[in-house]
Amino acid sequence: MGTAQELVIFVENNQERFYKVAYTYVKNREDALDIVHNAIVKALQSYHRLKKPDYAQTWFYRILINESVSFLRKKKRILSLEEIPSLQSCSDTSGSELHKDEYIDLYTAIDKLPPEMKTIIILRFFEDMKLDEVAEITSTNLSTVKSRLYRALKYLKVDMEGLEYDR
Amino acid sequence: MIDRTNYDRIEIPEHLDEVVQDAIAEGLTRRRRNRVAGLLKRTGSIAAMFMLCLITLLNLSPTFAAAACELPAVGGFCRVFLFREYRMEDEIKYVDVKLPNIANTGKGELEVRVNQEIQKKMYDCLAESEARAKEYYDAFVETGGDPKDFTPVGITIDYETKYIGQDRVSFVVSQYESRFDAYNCDLYYNIDLESGKILTLKDYFGTNYREIIADSIETTIAGWSAEQRSILWEDLSIVDLISENTDFYFNQDGQVVIVVPKYEAAYGAAGSLEFTIQTPEG
Repeated sequence: MGTAQELVIFVENNQERFYKVAYTYVKNREDALDIVHNAIVKALQSYHRLKKPDYAQTWFYRILINESVSFLRKKKRILSLEEIPSLQSCSDTSGSELHKDEYIDLYTAIDKLPPEMKTIIILRFFEDMKLDEVAEITSTNLSTVKSRLYRALKYLKVDMEGLEYDR
Repeated sequence: MIDRTNYDRIEIPEHLDEVVQDAIAEGLTRRRRNRVAGLLKRTGSIAAMFMLCLITLLNLSPTFAAAACELPAVGGFCRVFLFREYRMEDEIKYVDVKLPNIANTGKGELEVRVNQEIQKKMYDCLAESEARAKEYYDAFVETGGDPKDFTPVGITIDYETKYIGQDRVSFVVSQYESRFDAYNCDLYYNIDLESGKILTLKDYFGTNYREIIADSIETTIAGWSAEQRSILWEDLSIVDLISENTDFYFNQDGQVVIVVPKYEAAYGAAGSLEFTIQTPEG
């Protein structure tokens, strides 16, 4: 990616993916469309300030996710990551540990997660990214991503043995 | 196992495409507006009002049109479209150049000449920018800066089409440097498509062009408030500002707009000033 034109093409070719990512955060069509819209406007406005245009795709995801997360923050009072350990566990798993041969509806389950964890689940499992890509997009280091993912899955009572979560 | 079915089944709204296209258009034009907003802060309020009118015009910006790679032709007669994009990056600078190309004027010789002229001027500009970036880098390193910490200087060369008509075309090529605001330079081009010549103010207004233009500018200034006038140099002689080399362009309505560079007529804080020239004939 070198020019604004290439960014435009990248956005056009992946608009459905972006919409799905935004939708997964907010679960509302109009809000998701707003987020996608704002992310594109912001990206194109500040594209010329991007130091390394080669990272434009990662950078675009970062904007999209920031838009989604800040939308959630504005909309609700979301619990911060630090408050998580004191939370009650996911109630709809009826307290029983899920096993690897059972299907986990992560799509519904992540609604209960705070945004930082949600982001990692979305990128890793729905967008099928590698953890180092997730770290890049979330501007955190790999070990932070791993520990957040681990805590998120534990919180969701997912049996992690069946998941290649730390790829 | 992770069940992604629900994710994969998220329904895509029919108007997603529309929303995305709208955002792309807004993102590309708003960047222009920001640039204009920056100018607004620096120019006087009369000039500011004029700049606001320009915003409409800037929405027709070639950068926006670049997505489609060409500007809508006016009567299919003349087109200015993206000619050359050039990007490079090293530890000292990152360069982004877009050069316009004049085509379909029906005058091949003119096209070649104008395009060569633009290229030459812009490459000169670029060479200057690169030399300044190098100086800045050297100074940074010599004073103990770690070369790894150096933020490359951004050099952007872009263009805006001001007016395209059957008879003439008007555009400006702009150079921006991320660290050297004072080094920005704008080159204005006005080409008469009938004769194939670069239009001068004299060609357009006749031999009395200096007086005609000065009269119009003085009338404009007479309408300013005392506060607005206070930005101008006290001993300013308008007519002396006007020469064959004065920058100008044609606005959307085909009117001549005179561009008076920073410091020439007013304090630096006022930036450059623009005056739309009203001729007695209108």
